[in-house]
Amino acid sequence: MITVALAKGRLANESAELFEKCGIDASVVFSDTRKLVLESADKKFSFFLVKPSDVPTYVEYGIADMGIVGKDTLLEHEKDLYEMLDLKFEPCKLCVAGYPEKKELLTNPHLRVATKYVHTARKLYAGRGEDVEIIPLNGSIELAPVTGLSDVIFDVVQTGSTLRANGLVVLEEVFDVSARLVVNKVSLKRKADVILPIIDRMKAIVG
Amino acid sequence: MNHYKLPAGVQDLLPEEYYNVSLLTEKLKNKFRLAGCRFLESSAIEYYDTFAEIRNRIPQRQMFKMTDGDGSLLVLRPDMTLAVARMAATKLKDPSGRFAYVSEVWNNAETAGNMSRRGYLQAGVEFLGVSGAFSDAQAIAFAVECMKETGLDDFTVDVGHVGFFKGLLSGLGVNEEYTEKVRVSINAKDSVGTMLALKEAGVDGRAAEALLSLPSLFGGEEVFSRAEKLTEDKGALSALEHLKKVHALLKEFGLEKYVSFDLGTVKSLSYYSGIVFTGLTGALGAPVLSGGRYDYLADDFGKHIPAVGFAMGLKRILMALESKGKVEKLPAPDAVIVAKEGAEATAYREYLRLTGEGKTADLYTGSEKEGIRYAAERNAKCVLVAEKEGVKRL
Repeated sequence: MITVALAKGRLANESAELFEKCGIDASVVFSDTRKLVLESADKKFSFFLVKPSDVPTYVEYGIADMGIVGKDTLLEHEKDLYEMLDLKFEPCKLCVAGYPEKKELLTNPHLRVATKYVHTARKLYAGRGEDVEIIPLNGSIELAPVTGLSDVIFDVVQTGSTLRANGLVVLEEVFDVSARLVVNKVSLKRKADVILPIIDRMKAIVG
Repeated sequence: MNHYKLPAGVQDLLPEEYYNVSLLTEKLKNKFRLAGCRFLESSAIEYYDTFAEIRNRIPQRQMFKMTDGDGSLLVLRPDMTLAVARMAATKLKDPSGRFAYVSEVWNNAETAGNMSRRGYLQAGVEFLGVSGAFSDAQAIAFAVECMKETGLDDFTVDVGHVGFFKGLLSGLGVNEEYTEKVRVSINAKDSVGTMLALKEAGVDGRAAEALLSLPSLFGGEEVFSRAEKLTEDKGALSALEHLKKVHALLKEFGLEKYVSFDLGTVKSLSYYSGIVFTGLTGALGAPVLSGGRYDYLADDFGKHIPAVGFAMGLKRILMALESKGKVEKLPAPDAVIVAKEGAEATAYREYLRLTGEGKTADLYTGSEKEGIRYAAERNAKCVLVAEKEGVKRL
C-alpha cells in the first residue's frame, strides 16, 4: 500500500488527474465523501486530503509515502524529505510587491514586509544581510501596503490583477514556484519497486 | 507556565518504555562488547567553544546554552562523535581501536528531520585509527549486525560516498557557500534546486550534467557503472573505486541483500570525509542509524585520527519495533510478600531469602486484602503472606 498526501483544493484534483494518467486509480479523490482516508478500489493506494502546509509534515514523518504540494509551501516549512519532481502545474512566482517608490519615513528606516511566508521572508532578507520588519498576515496581504501597515508584501503572484487594481507593482521576482512531488526518505528506498516507476511515468507526462 | 509540564521535544521514560529501552540497550551493549569495543562516556556539559571553534562547527542555534559562574558559555553535548574525537585526541594514550557509547545528545533546533525531538538517546561505535575499504566494510557490516540485533528484520543500510560529489565539484573554483547550496539540493534530491544552485555557482557543461544526475544515482550495484560514465575526475573515480571494493567485501561477507547505494546522499562535508551510510527500516519513516567516515574530525583537537563509526537512535528503533508489535511487557515479579501484623521480620527474612536466590520479590506494606490486589495488578507469580507461624503461599 502506498499512501499519498494531497493538498486540498484545486491542486488535489490536478494531482489526482496526474495519478490517473499514470495508470493509478485515483478516482476516489473526486468522490463526494466525508471520509478522511480514501482508499483506491484495488487497495494499492490510499490518499489523504490535508491542508497544503501539512503535506510536507505527513511526508516527513512517513505517514504518507509521497505527496504533492506547492514549492512555496516547501520553502516555508523546510522539512527533511526528497523533492523528486517539478510537476509544473499551478505555476506562479513568489514576489516582493509594493508601490513603485518607498515612502522614506524617519521613524521607519527599515523595510516593513507583510507576508504569510514568514520563515521564507526572514531567510531571504537575512541571507542578504538586510534589516527588515516582518509582519505576519494570513490573508489579503495586498491590503497591508495599501493601508500603510507595511511598505511591501512578499507573496505568491499568479496573474497580478489584485496588485494592479490597487496600484501595486511587482518589485522583484524571487522564486518560481509550482507543484512538486515529494517523497519520504525511507519510502523512496524501501518501496522503490512501486515508487520509482510512478516517478518515471510522471516525469514522462510533465516533460 | 505550568510547573509540572515538560518543555517541548523532551520526554520522561515511564516503566514500560524504560524496560524496553534498557532491553535494547543491553542487547546492543553486549553486541558492542563482543566486537571488542571499549566503552566511554563524555561529560554532558561542555564548553560552547568545543563545538563552535572547529571547522565542523555545530550551528549556534542548535545548541542548548548555559553560562558558567565565570561567564564562559557552556552547552549540553550536541554530538557524541565530536566528543569521542576530543577525548581520543586529548586523553587516550593510544587513540586507536574500537570504542562504544550509549549517551544522550541534545539539539535545540526545531528544524526538519528531528521528528520534533530535542534529546536523543544514542548507542554508537567509533572505529578509530583505521582506514581503507576493509575498515569501511567492517563498519557497515557491523551496522547490519546491530540492526539485526535490535530485532528489526526489514531494513537496509544505504551507502554513499561524499568523495564522489567533492570530486565532481573539484577544480571548478566553486566557493564554500555555493558548494553547500548545491550539496543541500542534491541531498534533498531536488533537481530544480540543484539546477538553480549550479547556475548561480557558474557550473555548466559536463560537470553540471554529472551533478544533476547525482540525485537519481541510487539503487543496487548498477549505480557504479552509471556513475563511472559521468566523469573523468580522479577524486570522483577513486571514491567510486573505493565503494566498489567495499561492495565486493560486503558481498563476500554475505550481506549484499542488506545494502543499497546512493551517490546522491551527501551529508555534511565538513564532518564526513568518505563513505556515509544510513539505516532505514520499513517500519519507520525516518532513518534509525546514521554514520560514515570522518578522518579529519580529531584534527581540530590536535591529532590526526582516521575514523569510521555510526550511531543508532534508540527511541526511533523502539518506535519501529512497537509498530511491528515487538515490544515486551514488564516482567511480573516472582513474588509479592504481604506481612501480617507482628510478622514483619518473617516477611523481611522471606524477602531476603528469595532475592538471595535471584528471584524478584516485592515486599508490600499494607493490609492482606490490599496486598492481594496489589499482587494481582502486577501479575505476580505468587503471593506470600507472612504470619507469626510462618510464610503461607496463597
